[in-house]
Amino acid sequence: MLKTLLDAFALISTWEVIIAMFAASVYGLVIGSLPGLSATMATALLVPVTFYLSPIAAIATIVAASSMAIFSGDIPGALLRIPGTPASAAYADEAYAMTRKGQAELALGAGVWFSAVGGIAGVLSLMILAPPLAEIALSFSTFEYFWLALLGLMCATLVARSSPVKAIAGMFLGLLVSCIGIENPGGVPRFTFGITDLFGGIEPIPALVGVFAVAQVMRAMLTPEPPPLPRRKFGSIMAGQWKLTKLYHWQMTRGNIVGIIIGVLPGAGADMAAWVSYAMSKRFSKEKEKFGTGHVEGLVEAGASNNASIASGWVPSLLFGIPGDTIAAIAIGVLYMKGLNPGPTLFTEKASSMYAIYLMFIIANILMIPLGIAMIRVAAYILLAPRSTVMPIIMLCCAVGSFAIGNNMFGVVTVAAFGVIGYVMEANGYPVAAMVLGIVMGTMVEQAFVTSLIKSDGSILPFFERPVAAILAAMAIGALLWPVMVWVWRKVKPAQTVAATTR
Amino acid sequence: MRLPDSVTGSFLVVLGAAAAYGGYILPPVPGQPVGPNVFPLVIGTGLALCGLAIVFGIGHSFEEEEELVPLEDGQAAAPPPQSKLYGLRALLPPALLLFYVFAADRLGFIITAAIMVYVTSTALGAKWKLALPLAALSPFAIHLIFGKLLRVPLPAGLLPTPW
Repeated sequence: MLKTLLDAFALISTWEVIIAMFAASVYGLVIGSLPGLSATMATALLVPVTFYLSPIAAIATIVAASSMAIFSGDIPGALLRIPGTPASAAYADEAYAMTRKGQAELALGAGVWFSAVGGIAGVLSLMILAPPLAEIALSFSTFEYFWLALLGLMCATLVARSSPVKAIAGMFLGLLVSCIGIENPGGVPRFTFGITDLFGGIEPIPALVGVFAVAQVMRAMLTPEPPPLPRRKFGSIMAGQWKLTKLYHWQMTRGNIVGIIIGVLPGAGADMAAWVSYAMSKRFSKEKEKFGTGHVEGLVEAGASNNASIASGWVPSLLFGIPGDTIAAIAIGVLYMKGLNPGPTLFTEKASSMYAIYLMFIIANILMIPLGIAMIRVAAYILLAPRSTVMPIIMLCCAVGSFAIGNNMFGVVTVAAFGVIGYVMEANGYPVAAMVLGIVMGTMVEQAFVTSLIKSDGSILPFFERPVAAILAAMAIGALLWPVMVWVWRKVKPAQTVAATTR
Repeated sequence: MRLPDSVTGSFLVVLGAAAAYGGYILPPVPGQPVGPNVFPLVIGTGLALCGLAIVFGIGHSFEEEEELVPLEDGQAAAPPPQSKLYGLRALLPPALLLFYVFAADRLGFIITAAIMVYVTSTALGAKWKLALPLAALSPFAIHLIFGKLLRVPLPAGLLPTPW
């Protein structure tokens, strides 16, 4: 244990890791603070760079950039009422109301402080939850993996803030995309239409970049430019945070726990955590009437929640290769590329790397406090950059980055195609996150499904015979039928009320 | 680009049916009950069913309308889109990426990138005073990071970089 910890320290105390982490932190802070550029997009655009780094440095960049971007989304949320990332959208109104009351320092300070606390709580959950779960996961067979993957996909559809039917459709679309190529049980070209480039299948990373970055540039073409940030002088940012921590320690803990749970659920990420926690804070608050008028309580809880979900999102990713959110989906791609294939054995064979990941999360969250304060102070200058200078650079990074993934122009075509797909889906209420999870997990789902079917000689029964498999199956099927049941219930209920009134 | 649910739903039905059929005609693996055809069949069927449900408006009641942050008084909202062609501007980014695919090998990275930056920047409302220097400088910066530091083989084309 101590030796692995020392090994982990040795792994992260190289110049490469330190520089990578610092640079990625600054990058994450800047991208996160620009409205319209989300944390997922920041991470996706980082992937081509990670190719050229050592495994630990590559993971360090992702850990640092994603944690920082989730916090710095709070900055334009508080100052402009425009959330920098979707994860800050839940409480942007509240934070802006505080700014108008002259409490910008308190709002932003709460953002940075409770983000860091939440992030560290998330890491602790990762450290505590992952090893025992890995023990259990060692005894899993393909049946359990199939149901687990399916359950993961279903969670992604349940928590989407749109129609569950559309979310399921999005998930199926993603699975269909993953069918393309010759990497299937028969090794035959499937849905390749004779195009050689499609034989290798659609890579998840260019698809992600397309859906999250190109689609965003497309939306920017049609939306008005956000107003520039009024320059202001900030007082002490951390003043009063300790008082808030003591006053709202229960809210903070609840935010952390909710964030951790939502992070662990596959498909549900920081934005969901923030929405749920903010709503919860309002529901259980003693001063409900103050919400919406610039009250810090909801900010504390939601800020603690969204950063906690970032770290705990790595739990299912590291254990099963099932991403906890879209950022973790990217991280999985990088893990595979770097020979750290997700799975329970990762914790025994590559224990020092795991400890290195924990340590990097902790360091990133501590680093967030000074860097975050510095960022708040210079935010006014960074937000001066008009969209017409930022978006072209994003476009170039999309083109070059997707080319770099395979040194192949087909990557650029993929990015363009998925930009259009992502844009159309989003515009019509189909959640793109569900599709992304489908693409990332498709091969795994199919492998588990087909291997299980071969083992069972085509029979469905063995899918339910093992106890854990049966439980997972019940949960997955329940999740699948839930929208149907609610729909039926809603159809029946009005009929009853009508019957009651006529009686 | 907001289409009625009946249109997107029908599209999904067709796509799902096509996927299921495409899976069905795949050759099976000899001596095995299941092969590459099973998964697309399942997915295609599921997708088609979802499409049907969407056409009939099941689950529509769950949808939350996009919450637009209302602008403050005094902050003028941008003028609403004028013509039908305005919506087509959204297709500019993917079109530019395809342009990159076709032109980069011939024109080289620097020139292609400069054109992309200039067009995107202008489309987002930048004046030429801003767009032109940006288009002149940013390709070199990106080339420095990706081409020089990360050794991505970017095409040289007509205008090789000085390094």
